[in-house]
Parts: sequence; C-alpha cells; structure tokens
Amino acid sequence: MKALQSSYLEIFAKKVFNELKSDEALTLNFNGEETLFSRLSKAKVRQVTNLHQAFIDFAFIKGNKVINFNMPFRADEGDFSLALKKLAQAREWIAALPEDPYLVRPKYYGVTKEENLNSLPKNEEMMGQVLDFAGNVDLAGVFSSGDVVRATINSEGQFHWFKTRNFYLDYSLYNEKQKAVKSLYAGSEWNSDDLRRNIKDAEYKLGLMNRDSKKVARGDYRVYLAPSAVNELMGTLSWGGVSMAAHQQGSGSLKDLWQKKKVMSPKFTLKEDYSLGLSPRFNEAGELAHPEMMLIEKGEFRNFLISTRTANEYKLESNNASDWESMRSPVISTGDLSRDDIYKELGTGLYVSDLHYLNWSDRETARITGMTRYACFWVENGEIVSPIEDLRFDESYYNIFGDALERVTNFAEVSPSTGSYFQRDVGGSKAPGVLLSQFKFTL
Amino acid sequence: MKLKEILNSLSDLKADYISLREVHSKGLGMSVRNEVFEGLNSSEDHGLMIEVMMNGQFAYGATNSFELSDIRECALKAKNAAIEASRFSLAKFSLDERPVTVGEYKSPGKVGIDGFNPKEATELLMGLSNAMKLHEHVISRSAYMQMTEMQTHFVATNGSDIKQNINRTAIGMSAVASSEKGNQRRSYGDDQSTQFGLEKFNKEKLTATAIRIASEALELLNAEECPTETMDLLLAPDQLYLQIHESIGHPLELDRILGDERNYAGWSFVKPSDFGTLKYGSPLMNITFDPTLEGQYASYFADDIGNKATKEYLIKDGVLLRGLGSLESQKRLNLPGVASQRATSWNRAPIDRMANVNLEPGTSSLEDMIKSVKRGIFMQTNRSWSIDDYRNKFQFGCEYARLIEDGKLTKLVKNPNYRGITAPFWNQLKMVGDKSTFEVGGLANCGKGEPNQVIFVGHASPVCLFSNIEVFGGGK
Repeated sequence: MKALQSSYLEIFAKKVFNELKSDEALTLNFNGEETLFSRLSKAKVRQVTNLHQAFIDFAFIKGNKVINFNMPFRADEGDFSLALKKLAQAREWIAALPEDPYLVRPKYYGVTKEENLNSLPKNEEMMGQVLDFAGNVDLAGVFSSGDVVRATINSEGQFHWFKTRNFYLDYSLYNEKQKAVKSLYAGSEWNSDDLRRNIKDAEYKLGLMNRDSKKVARGDYRVYLAPSAVNELMGTLSWGGVSMAAHQQGSGSLKDLWQKKKVMSPKFTLKEDYSLGLSPRFNEAGELAHPEMMLIEKGEFRNFLISTRTANEYKLESNNASDWESMRSPVISTGDLSRDDIYKELGTGLYVSDLHYLNWSDRETARITGMTRYACFWVENGEIVSPIEDLRFDESYYNIFGDALERVTNFAEVSPSTGSYFQRDVGGSKAPGVLLSQFKFTL
Repeated sequence: MKLKEILNSLSDLKADYISLREVHSKGLGMSVRNEVFEGLNSSEDHGLMIEVMMNGQFAYGATNSFELSDIRECALKAKNAAIEASRFSLAKFSLDERPVTVGEYKSPGKVGIDGFNPKEATELLMGLSNAMKLHEHVISRSAYMQMTEMQTHFVATNGSDIKQNINRTAIGMSAVASSEKGNQRRSYGDDQSTQFGLEKFNKEKLTATAIRIASEALELLNAEECPTETMDLLLAPDQLYLQIHESIGHPLELDRILGDERNYAGWSFVKPSDFGTLKYGSPLMNITFDPTLEGQYASYFADDIGNKATKEYLIKDGVLLRGLGSLESQKRLNLPGVASQRATSWNRAPIDRMANVNLEPGTSSLEDMIKSVKRGIFMQTNRSWSIDDYRNKFQFGCEYARLIEDGKLTKLVKNPNYRGITAPFWNQLKMVGDKSTFEVGGLANCGKGEPNQVIFVGHASPVCLFSNIEVFGGGK
C-alpha cells in the first residue's frame, strides 16, 4: 500500500505547506495501516477482514486561532485537491471563531524515522499454524498482522515517522464447563515453536480449571493479582488518574496523593518508560516525551502527565504528554517476590489472573469496581484448591498500592495493546504481580 | 464510477456473492470550557467495504481508495481469504442470509452540518458555559456540540440496493463543583443524541438546564453520603438507558450467546433454550427492538447486510422471546432475531449489535410511584457502570439522588451507587412509569467486537421502580 511509504506523505505535506500564508501554520498527523483481522471461535474462522486505510489529521493555525480537520489519504492526486478544499473551508470558519488563549504552536522538534519491518510468514501460513496448534481445543479470539504507521510532520520542518510490522494472537481457551484461560502471543518475529508452546501452556492451565468452581462469599480476602490484572488496573488509572488537566478540572482520582495528603506503599513505583519500545515517544504535536519519567516513586507523588495545552492554561511546565494525558508506556517496578513463592506467600486467599470491566466507583477516594475473569483460583495453605465463580470487587488504589501491598514480584510481564477501535493501536504496559493483604469483594 | 458499475466490473471474479458498502461520513464537533473556546473539529471519512462469499464463508476487504485497480485487488484478496478460510469455517452460510432489499432512508433532522454557523454555535456554547458560572466553586463549565452525517450505499449481486443517510446531533454540558468537601459533577446530554437536527434544540431550555446542573453540582457539595442499605430504587430514564444497555441489550446479542465474543466483550448468561421460557423480569417488563421510532438515535431502514428492520418484542410481559442477532446467528441457533448486523463504518465487517432497544411505558405516574415507597431512593444520570462478562453481576453509580421516605422525596445524597444481578433485578421491577415519564435517548459509543468497533445505539424508557435493591455510597 503506497500510502504507507513515507515519501508520499512528505511530498504531500510539502505541497500543502507551500499553500500556507504568512500568519498560518500547520501540523499533520498521519495514521495508516495494512492489516489482516481474523476473528476466531471454537478454533474455527468466523470472519476475515483485510483492511487498507490511511488518514491525516490537520491542526491548522491562523493568527491565534486553531481549527482541526481530517481527510482520508490515498497517495494520489486527489489528496491535494481535497486538502485545498478543506483549507479553504477552514479559513472561512476560522474567521468566525474566537482566539485560543492556550494555543499550542508547531515548533521544530527534529526529524526521526523508525521502521521495524521484520519479515513475517504469509498470513495464511501464520493462521494455518494457529488453527493447527489449537487442534481440538475450544479457542476464541482474534489474530491480527500487518503494518501500522504513526507520523507527524509540521510546517516548521519537524517530521517523525514510526512504522512497525507485527502480529498478535489474542485468545482464550475454554473447557467443557466453559471456564477459561487467557493468553497472548504477540511480536514482530514469528516463531512457530514459541506459538506452539504458548498454546500448550494455556492448555495446561486450562486443565486446572476442570475442578468444580468454588463460590466465594463476599468479604475481604488475601489476594495475589497477576501481572495481567495489574496491567488492567494501569489502564483505568490512565483514565483521569495521572492527568494534570483532570485534576485541575475536578475529575482526577489521585487528588490526595497529588496534594500530598496521602502516600502509597514504598514498594510501589510507577513511571513512563519508552524503552519498552512499543510506543513512539512523539505526541500529536510531534513533541518528544522524556525517555523515562517518574509518576509515583516509592509511594510518593512525583509527576502527573502535562500536555503543552494544559501547561499553557495552568502556567505549568509541559512534559510533552499526549492531548489526553493518558499513559503511553507505563511500567511498574518489580519487587522481590519470586514466582516459586507466590502461592506459599499468599497462603489462603484468591489468585486472580485477570480483571474485567473496571470503572471508577468513587473518584474522590480512588475507588474502582470491576470483575474477576478467566483463571482465578481459591488457594488454601499455599495450594490451589479450585477455580472460583467470578466475583465483583470495589477497592481503592490507595489500598491496592498502599496499605494492603505486601509484596511485588521480581518479574514483570509486558502487555502490548491489542486495541483496534478505529485503527490498530500501538503501545503497551509492563507490570509485575502484587500480593495484597486485603482486597474487598462485594458481590 | 457508480457503485453498481463497480460491482458489475467485479463479475469476472466469479464469487458466490459480492456486496459493496460505501460509507461517506462527515463530522463536526466543537466545545467550550470555562467560557474559553476549546476547538472545532471537522472530520471526513470515505471508504468501501467489499464482502465476498465463497464456499459458504464470508470474507471482507476494506479500502479507502476508489481507484478501480485498488478495489479490484481488495476484492480479490477477500475472495482468496474466503476460499482459504472456508477450510476452517465456523459455520457455512448461503444466500438465504443475504435477503434482496431495495429502499432508502433519511433521518428526520432538518438543520445539520450544511446549516452550521460557527459564530452562532460558539455563542450558544459560550452562553451555556457562562450560565453555569453561578459560584466560584463551579470550577469546570463545559458545553459541546457534535454533528455527524453518514451516507451509506449498499449494493449486492443479489440485486439489493439501499441508500441511507443517517444524521446525528448532540449537545451536552457538564458542571464540576469543588470545595474542601470534595468534587461533584452534574451533566446533561451525553445520552441525549438524536437523529433530529439542530432545530430540535431550544436555547432557552438548554440555558435553563445549564443553570440547573450547575446548581445541583453545588448542592451536592453539601449533601450527605448515600446510605448503605437495601431499599426500593426509583430510576430515571437517564440511568435506565445504561441499565437496559448493559443488562438486557448485550446479553441478548446472539453472537455473545454463541460464544463468538468470549475473548473480548464476553458472553451471556442467556442460553439458547431460554428463548420462549425464561422469566427475564416481572410481568410489567416489555422490551422492544424498534428501528422505527422517528428521530431515535439508531433508527434505520435496513442493517448493513441489507436486512429490512422491523419493530419486534424481545421480552414481552417479562418473558424472553427473541435475541438481537443477524440472519447468520439466527441460522446457527435456529432462533428468531432482528435486523441488527451492523458495522461501525466501512472499515469493519458487520456483527450482531443493538440498535434502538427500548423499555415500553407502563401505567404508573411518577407521583404514584413515589407515594408507594416507604423507604427508598430516586437516582438520576449515570456516572459509572460495570458488569461481568456473562452480564450478571452489575454495579452502577449515579450523579444525583434523593431519598424517598414515607411516600415523599426528601434528603439529597451524594455518590449514590447500586448493585445487583440481572434477572433477579428485573424480576424486582415493581412499577413502570406511564408515557408522561417516557424519555428517548441515544448513546454514541457502544464498544464490542474483534477487531473493536464502536456504534451508536438508542434507548428509551419511562421511570421505573425496583424493590429491595442494594444501595451504597462513596468514601473509603
């Protein structure tokens, strides 16, 4: 797909920038992908979609005013004429708009080009192996592969281009009782042996789910949250938890930590760490985030994410966060609990592999609710007794990563984003498991 | 080249069936916060979905290029993918699942993007933001407007030819009040999207609403915490929309019942054998799939595979009758469904979805419902939602609530929440409001599917009363 070659975007952008008048500036954000999605159930194919798409978001500035618009990008002659039409419309509308006191003007933030384009087997070959290795086991999920591009280019000469070729098999396996285990095989280098091992490991765990489920009564329990559950908690924390704008505007959920009325556990450290390599460091404006930035260090507040717009409004220093001020590459530091000691240290309580459908139940006290999901077990005296029936929890981050945090594992797991609303996501997070002395289940 | 001509140009591919779905959508949104203009966003998307059936297997190719050579390449890829996938088909389909339908639909709205005046729109939103400036404690005063126009043209080798222009409009606002006692938010409009145009919105009414929500946010700062106890629960339509959505709409989706969604959105506590027998709720509960309600957010003529949409009862007198599912799912389950195989846009394959899923009005007035309660609570406007992957154990939070004591609305309380389990909850439905309490709403962002899709859905409901529900507040 030619639209995913950087030269087409550069030529297009140059032509559009030449049309700008002296009081005008422009930033273009490019998104494109060439993707296979194969939707699977019962280790069979439900639907297959091959998708080619590319589009450009424009941030057009005239004087002290801004207007945003977008258009499909096809890497043909029609692109430029459509862009001219849209520029003309923008000039007409912008005349009637008020000035923007917090305007973020494009600047030169350098030129970078990163392309990770490993060779992958043909789609049908990878899909064939997935279905072959799954055999008769009941597998549901999605297989996706292909190229994804994010780029930003502005009229001040800045240009950042990020293109990656990768795949993921995001799946779960089910037994006859319809109990399930969840797994993910993802990367940019295909290895048949790794895929086979990944599915076999999941099948082994599924065997543990054959025992009768225990119905656990509501109440407070000792709990081990596996890395995938902790990664899920990070996702919700990104929803107003570490955004400066959210806190300034009364919808933040770690207000007491920010205002130093509360601390979390010294065992808890959260940072943005782009060495994870899953997300580009540049944001929509092309600003580069620091390679590593502490958010919460040993339980104490260090930084919230601050976009340049928020910085302009509240007279703060920007740390080049994205417009939404959500975490793009969060990493939680590891501790000293070894994998072999997890059950022994848990003693009697719940081993929770995954959490599902989290939402704030009270932002003021950083309380969230959600469900257990997939392979979760009742453990007695360090031994797995049985899977559990799903439970609802309602608990505060100040408890999870504060008073109740006993141990943190000495290993962490990467969770690459498999989201695909509108387009295939990039990014991911990395978290260890955590052992909690108390966790509240409510239903 | 016209869409039918493009379709004809693909005849030499000799596919068992091909459909083309062209989607051209335009959007326009703007927002104001604290009397400062936050931005105007204008969007345009235009692309083509090619659906091919070979050996009983569907596959899809999507492109936003309209070069014939690109379309052809895309169609060929879809054909080859269908052939390859047909060796591993979950189910085999035929032309029975692709009815021949010809028709057109247009939303009833009059003033849309073409009638957009940036100066007037800015003044309206600035005015609403300013109207919320009642006290220095109202620290955030937001107002927004969103318009979308989506033109879809569907043609297929079976002769189907459907044109639909679905235009959607929303105006919303929120006020956050803050003091040493905490933060409280009141909002309006997130669930009020409609297929009517800007002519539907009255400036004076919107301004009165802006003042009301800001006053209520201030009032909540000094309210007591919602008590923790089991009591009667009266719910306003702007909370019931999401209660219906999460605990009726999603569990009745046939693809969830089939297990296709297990890995992402989840599945359902409903079993195929439950249709016709399961007492889902009390006899007062009547749920319809109604794509015919004029102006409701997800009204349409036909779904995205060309199945003509009609009003159907999903639950009648409390008994489950019908699911939300495509002709494909209906065939796999041998159960009745509805015309709801929908896609978010040209770049996604259509899947089983909600459209307008409504709770039909009953016979009780609001006054009679309040009078009937000895100890209860009246909750309004959703602020939090969560439910398990079988759609059983839910928890909802609302923005605003008042206690009901001895048949009268009394004390205001903050941070109201409630929890329950779907079927027992709906069986505790004690009274259903009459038409005077019936409101029609719409939600823009229902997420589901692998690959992920968001879609707009409509919900309508009267005020409803439930008995003996677990209620609780915020705090530690």
